[in-house]
Formats: sequence, C-alpha cells, structure tokens
Amino acid sequence: MNPQDMKPKHEPWYRSKTFKRFRRNPLAITGTVMLIIFVVVAFLAPAITAPQLATIRSARPCVRNLGLKRGEVVQALRNPLKLTFWRAAIKPPKSCYNIPRAGYSPLPKPPSKEHPFGLTSGSYDILYGLTWGARTAFYIGFLVVGISLAIGIVIGGVSGFLGGWVDNLIMRVVDVMLAFPRLVFVMIVSVIFGSGLTQVMLALAVVGWVGYARFFRGDILKTKAQDFVDAARALGSSPTRIFFKHVVPNSIGTLLILASMDVGSIVLTAAGLSFLGLGAPVGYADWGQMISFARGYILGTAQGTPFDFWYVWIFPSVVLVLFGLAWNLLGDAVRDALDPKS
Amino acid sequence: MTTFIVRRLLQLPVVLLAISLVIFGMMQFLSPTERAATYAKSEQQAQHLDAIIRQYNLDKGFLVQYGTWLKQVLHGNLGFSKQSHEPVLTTIRKRLPVSAELALYLFFPTLAFGIWMGTMAAIHRDKLIDQIVRVFAIIGWSLPTYVMAIWLLAVLFGQLHCCGIGRVDDAIAVQIAEGKLKTYTGMITLDGILNGRWDVTLSGLKHLVMPVITYTFVASAQIMRVLRSSMLDVLNSDYVRTARAKGLPESVVNIKHARRNAIIPIITIAGLMFAFLLEGSFFIEIIFNFHGLGQWSVPAAVQLDFPAVIGIALLVGFSVSVANLIVDILYGIVDPRISFQ
Repeated sequence: MNPQDMKPKHEPWYRSKTFKRFRRNPLAITGTVMLIIFVVVAFLAPAITAPQLATIRSARPCVRNLGLKRGEVVQALRNPLKLTFWRAAIKPPKSCYNIPRAGYSPLPKPPSKEHPFGLTSGSYDILYGLTWGARTAFYIGFLVVGISLAIGIVIGGVSGFLGGWVDNLIMRVVDVMLAFPRLVFVMIVSVIFGSGLTQVMLALAVVGWVGYARFFRGDILKTKAQDFVDAARALGSSPTRIFFKHVVPNSIGTLLILASMDVGSIVLTAAGLSFLGLGAPVGYADWGQMISFARGYILGTAQGTPFDFWYVWIFPSVVLVLFGLAWNLLGDAVRDALDPKS
Repeated sequence: MTTFIVRRLLQLPVVLLAISLVIFGMMQFLSPTERAATYAKSEQQAQHLDAIIRQYNLDKGFLVQYGTWLKQVLHGNLGFSKQSHEPVLTTIRKRLPVSAELALYLFFPTLAFGIWMGTMAAIHRDKLIDQIVRVFAIIGWSLPTYVMAIWLLAVLFGQLHCCGIGRVDDAIAVQIAEGKLKTYTGMITLDGILNGRWDVTLSGLKHLVMPVITYTFVASAQIMRVLRSSMLDVLNSDYVRTARAKGLPESVVNIKHARRNAIIPIITIAGLMFAFLLEGSFFIEIIFNFHGLGQWSVPAAVQLDFPAVIGIALLVGFSVSVANLIVDILYGIVDPRISFQ
C-alpha cells in the first residue's frame, strides 16, 4: 500500500470548508476587493499617469526609454491593443520610477486638472508617486516575503527534520536574531552597506526568515509524528524521500498562506524606513518617501495651517493605511478560516 | 523554581556574547580603515589611522580583533560619534533617560488600555462594545506609528495648537539649559517633582499627551486581540461555570476567576512589546522631537555614523535579551507548570 493513501482524502480547495468559511466572511470579501483595486491601479499605473508623462518635461527619460515620442504617449499607453501598453504595464524602464517634477517650487500646489492630486514641495506629482508607488509596494512586499520564506523553509526544515544538536544550534541562532528589532537591524545594514531600497529589502529579508523557520520547524515536528510518515519509514523509504515526498508537502501549505499575509506589514515597515530616510531616495515613487514630504508642512508654517496643504500628507498616508487594512482584513479572515476556534 | 531561575540567568551571558559576535561579524564587512575611524576623535587623529589600526589590532586575525573590540566595549569605549561630536557612551548616557521616560509612559497606558478593552470585548461577546473593539483593533493594527503621529500632529498641534512638541515648553527648556533645574534622573516629569517644580512636571506631561495617544492606539490592538481570545477560552471553562453556579457575582467571576488566567499570554505579549516599543519610540522621538536615543541614532544611520549605530545595536540587543529573561521568569512565577518542564 502507498503511504500516501493513509492520508485523509482532499477535496479541491474551492470546495473545502476552509474556503467556504473564508467566502462567507464579509470582511474577507472587503479585503480582497480592496487588494484587487490596488493590483489594478499598480498594473495600470503607466496608463493612469500617461498625461503627466506626456506633459511634464522631467518625465522624458522614461518616455524615451519606452521608445515613444511626446505627442503619442497618451494614445500609446492607454490603448491595450498596442505593444507599448503591455510593455509599460509589465516591465517599465527603471527611469519611470522617478516621480516627474513639474517645476522646482518649494511650495506644494493644490490639485488641479493637470495634477489631479496636487504637487508636493519641489513639485513632485502626487498622483504619479502614489500609482507607481503601488508597484514599488507590491514589489518590495512579495520580494521580501519570498526571500525570507525561502531561507525560513530551508533552515526551519533542516532544523525540524534533523533534530538533535543541529536543531538546538539553529534555535539558539533564532533567539539571538529575535533580540534585534527590525528597525535596528536595518540601521546596522544601511550603515555598513549604504542606504537604499535594495539594502532595506535585504535587511528585512534577513530578519524576516526567523519567524517562518520557527513556524515551519514546529509544523514539521507535528507532521513527522503522524502515522503515514511511520508507514513510509516502515516501507523502507529513505529519509530524504520521506522529507520531500511526505513531510514537506503536508507542512508547507499553511506556512505559505500565513506568510503571504505578511506582505502588508512588510510594506508598512519599508515605508516607515523610507520615511526616516533609510530607504528609497527622494523623488523615488515610494509611499513612505511621499509621506516624508509631509514633515515640512505638518506643524503649520508661515504659509498656513497643515490643512492648507492637506493633499501633501492625506493622500499618501490614507493610501498606505488602506493598503495595510486590506492585507490585515484578508489575513484575519484567512486565520479565522484556517482555525475556526480562535 | 530556583533552579529554573538560575538556569535562565546562566544562559544570559551566552546570549549576550552571541549578540556581540553577530554585531562584530557584521562589522567585518567594513575595511580596517573604516573601522579605525570609530576611534578617531578629530581630523588630526584621522590622519593617523595606521597607528589606530595597530593599537586596536584591526589588522590581526578575527579572534584577536574580536577580543580587543570586546575589551573596549566592556570598558565602555564604544568609539566616537560624528553625529553628536562626542563619545558614543556619553551620548547614550545623556539620552537614555529621555528614551526610558518616554518608554515608561508609553508602555503602561498601552498595556492597561489593551487589557481593559480586551476584557470588555470578551465579556460582552458579539454585543456593540465587542464590535467597536474589533473595528478599533483592526484599524489600530493597520495604522503605522508614524502615520498616526503625523495625523495627530496635524490636527492637535498644527490646527488646534494644543499639547506642544518636544519634551517641555520652550521657557522651561531654556531654564534647564541654564542649569536652573537640578538634574537627578534626567526624566523631566520626575525631576520636576524632585525640584519641587510642579509646572515642569505638568509641562512634561502635557507634551507626552500626543505620544501616548499615538502609541496606545497603534499598539494596544495586539493586546486586545490576544486578551479577547484567551478570555473567551477561559470563560467557557468548567471552573468558571462552577464559580457562577456557586452564585458568585458576575464581576467577581469575570475579574477574579477568568481574567487572572486569561492574562498569562499577555506576559508573552508584553515581552514582545518591548522590542516593538523601542521601534515605535524611535519614530515618536523623531516626529515629536524628543531628544532621545532614536532621534540621535536614526539620523546617525543615515549619515553613515556607524559607531553610533553599533552602540545602539549593542544596547538594544542586550536590553531585549534582558527583557526576555524577565518575561521568562515572570512566566514561571505566574504559571508554575512552565518551570517544571
């Protein structure tokens, strides 16, 4: 008999009770819809900001790298039948992530027809920064979670499967890593390797694996104790075969789902670091960096109260909070669905 | 019980050593010249980096270097900070009371508020208050500290001109700078009382209003959620039913029987909160202009002033480990089952 037969039979995921519980939770649907909107905005960023790309002079490098002339930008980027539309949406040139500047005025400008969300100090276009910032956010979130997951799965897997002194050593390393708050670790990394978005992502990934390794190790220990693993061992399967064919596939599902819910909090953390000046450089399309523009106007200045410049700080911070809220609603619903008791 | 505490205490030096090793290991990515700059106090000394490299064994093998470095650290020589133009340890000494005071004022309201709201939500399950707490918790959870701080700053300070930023009113800050106020602890609210100056204490408290609101709203969410679910577990247990059956008043059952046990996971959370608190207070110090450790070390990191950052990393790593140790021991005391494992 194949040891796999001893496992309970699985129905397809969309018919499972877990998914039903998820589907019936109104908060889950709200979170999902919000996230879909964010994905669509991120994907359509070039189309949404085509007018800005066409009119603002400092957007030229981006337009040139897309192989366009200024007159044809709007038609090319808003027509899904054209190749440029897809090229810009899927893999735009790097120069497009620099927010175009409509001038050099130190005073922010309120929303207008050309700049629907207004301009920050230094005349960076806020709509542009927010839509392209959504792309940066997804990029940071998924990349950091992906890398930490990869490290976490390997280390947690080795630790849980081998056990003994290896397990002990790895868990002590985990304890030491937990003594550093993320912010402090990022500070160390940026002092040694310089500050920038790449360094921040690296640092977050290096700190992030710890939780996953712990969780995966615990899950593996639970799976290892189950009957079908004993059965496989009794049938003479090698330890590696047992590990990859029986233990990992049965442990990894929950971890993947729970980890993907961390994308939101990673993005909020990364934005916070950009806000402090440790992440994205000034003018890069990143939400945290956009919020840091607010610092000059939040105390009220000679030019007016904070609410005279509301668009500088309200738009970016609301977008950021909605993004975090969407992921948390989703994450909450997923955890409830996986573990109905809590 | 005693063996448990002793065993945990003995583990501490090992963990601290491991932390210092991690930090030192990361420093190895810098060249000896860059590391020598740690000990250079002035432009003239920076001319003689070779001498410094030889003095601190920066060209020797890893273990010799580590030994020399550790000895310096243990003697309090953390190097020289470009950001504050003085030795790192001096700056830490000056700014630590500010951060510690802020942390104290942030920690307890958050914990108390979280426990109170979590209890209320569990007792009145699925009623209006439970729904309010849930909404409150999920919004607080999604709101980063810096965003909440900025919103409060705009509304309370920018628009309504309430509460003030910095630690105290400007007039009092001037008096402190002139030395008219004796410094006992470095904590403004406490020093005010010790000097018999209530206006100073009041001013300090007034300036703490915005940081405390910010942090309580953002950080108590986690505590509410944990307490609510563990309280619900306990409320369904047999001994709570027994207590009710005995005819005890509902409030006694809820507070004395149920919450006592529900609060155990909160100790874990409070331990985790400590690391989180450090992070949050760095943002708060920067946004509300408190001259604490965060307000110095984060700009130091941006300016590549690495002795400052290494000093902070050591301090934070050590204090988080000690906090974890305290949590472990508390846990053993509150829940005797743990220490027997």
